[in-house]
Amino acid sequence: MVTKTEETQLNNLENQVDNGGGGAWEYLTLLRKLKLRRSDKALKHGLSILNNPKLRSTLGPDEWTLYEQVAVAAMDCQHLDVAKDCTKALRKRFPESKRVGRLEAMLLEAKGSWELAEKAYTSLLEDSPLDQAIHKRRVAMAKAQGNISGAIEWLNKYLEIFMADHDAWRELAEIYVSLQMYKQAAFCYEELILSQPTVPLYHLAYADVLYTIGGLENLQTAKKYYASTIDLTGGKNTRALFGVCLCTSAIAQLVKGKSKEEKEGSQVQSLAAKVLEKEYKQKAPNKLPQLTTALKSLTLAS
Amino acid sequence: MGLGFISGFLGVLVLFHAAYSTIQYRALLKITEEEFSGPPLNVVVELFIGLVICIWAALTLPGKFLSIHPDSDENRIVSLPDNLDFMIFNHRRKVFPLEMDMKLRQ
Repeated sequence: MVTKTEETQLNNLENQVDNGGGGAWEYLTLLRKLKLRRSDKALKHGLSILNNPKLRSTLGPDEWTLYEQVAVAAMDCQHLDVAKDCTKALRKRFPESKRVGRLEAMLLEAKGSWELAEKAYTSLLEDSPLDQAIHKRRVAMAKAQGNISGAIEWLNKYLEIFMADHDAWRELAEIYVSLQMYKQAAFCYEELILSQPTVPLYHLAYADVLYTIGGLENLQTAKKYYASTIDLTGGKNTRALFGVCLCTSAIAQLVKGKSKEEKEGSQVQSLAAKVLEKEYKQKAPNKLPQLTTALKSLTLAS
Repeated sequence: MGLGFISGFLGVLVLFHAAYSTIQYRALLKITEEEFSGPPLNVVVELFIGLVICIWAALTLPGKFLSIHPDSDENRIVSLPDNLDFMIFNHRRKVFPLEMDMKLRQ
C-alpha cells in the first residue's frame, strides 16, 4: 500500500536520482518496498550500481536482491541478455535455489517459449507444491497467452487453497472487470473489503462495479460505498466525490415521481459538489466552468 | 534526546525529594505529637512541578506521535501496489524497446 507520504517521498527521490543526485540504492529499495513497477528506471539505476564494483561491494548480501530486481526489470523491458546475465550470476551463487529457478522460468516466459516455461514451473511445483509465487506465475502465464478463462480457472483453484491472499483476489477482480463480469468482480471486492476494511480504494472499486451494474438497489449501495471512501480519505478522493454526485442523480432519475427520502440524499451530494468546486478552484481554475456545467447537468450545482 | 532525558531524570529527582520531605515532615509531626492531615504546601507545589516535568519528558523522549486518522497523509492510501506477482511480459515494450545500450559487465 502506498500512502500519501510515501508517494511524495518516492517522487522526490525519483527526481533526485533522475537528475544524477545520487540515492539510487535508496530509490530501488523503496521501489521494492512499495512493490512498484517502474522497470525502466529500476533497470537503468540498478545496472549502474551493478556495473560499479565499488558500489556493489558496499551493498553486502543485498547485492543478490538487486540482481534479482534488475533481472525482473530487464525482462519487463525486453532486455533479455541483461536478464540472462543476472540470472546466470545468481545461479552461480545459489546453485540449488528455487527462487533462481523461478527466475529462469520467468526468463523463458519473457522469451515467449511457453511450453518450456510451463515445464519448468511444473517441475518446480513437484518439489514444493505450496509455493505461492509459482502458482501465481502460472496464472500470469495463462493471461499472457490470452487464455483468460484458463487464468480464471487457475486463480480460482489457487484461491481455494490460499484464501487470505488479497493480491490474488484483486487480480481476479480485475480480470472479471476486464471481461465485464461485474457480479463476480463485486464478489471479489466484497472479499477484499472484508479482509482489509480500511483501504479506501477497495471501497471505491466496489462502488464503481456496483454503479456499473446499475439498478436502484445497487446504486444505493454504491453511493454508500462512495460515501465510505470519502469518509476514509477525508474527502481527498476526487473519484469518490464524483461517484456520489453521479449516484445521486441516477437514483433521482430512477425514483422520479415516487419521491421519498430524497431530502437526506440531497445534502450529501451538494456537500460533495461543494468540495469538488473548491478543489477545482484551487488546483485547476481553468477547468472550473467545465465542472460547473457538468454538475448543473446533474442538477447538483450549488 | 539529551534534553528530554535530563529533564526526565530531574523530574524523578524532584519527586523523590518531595517524598523524602514528606517522610521528614511526618517524623517531625511524631515528635510534636500532632495529627498528619496532609503534606505542607511547598511539598505539594514541588510534587506538581515534578509531575509536569516527568510528563513532558515522557511525551518527548520516546519519539514522535504517529497519526491514527485514516485520512492523514501518513495513513491515506493513494494507490495500490502493482501486482508484481502477476506481471506479464508481452506488452508494448516488445514493440518499442528501450533506447538504451546496456550490458551487465562482470
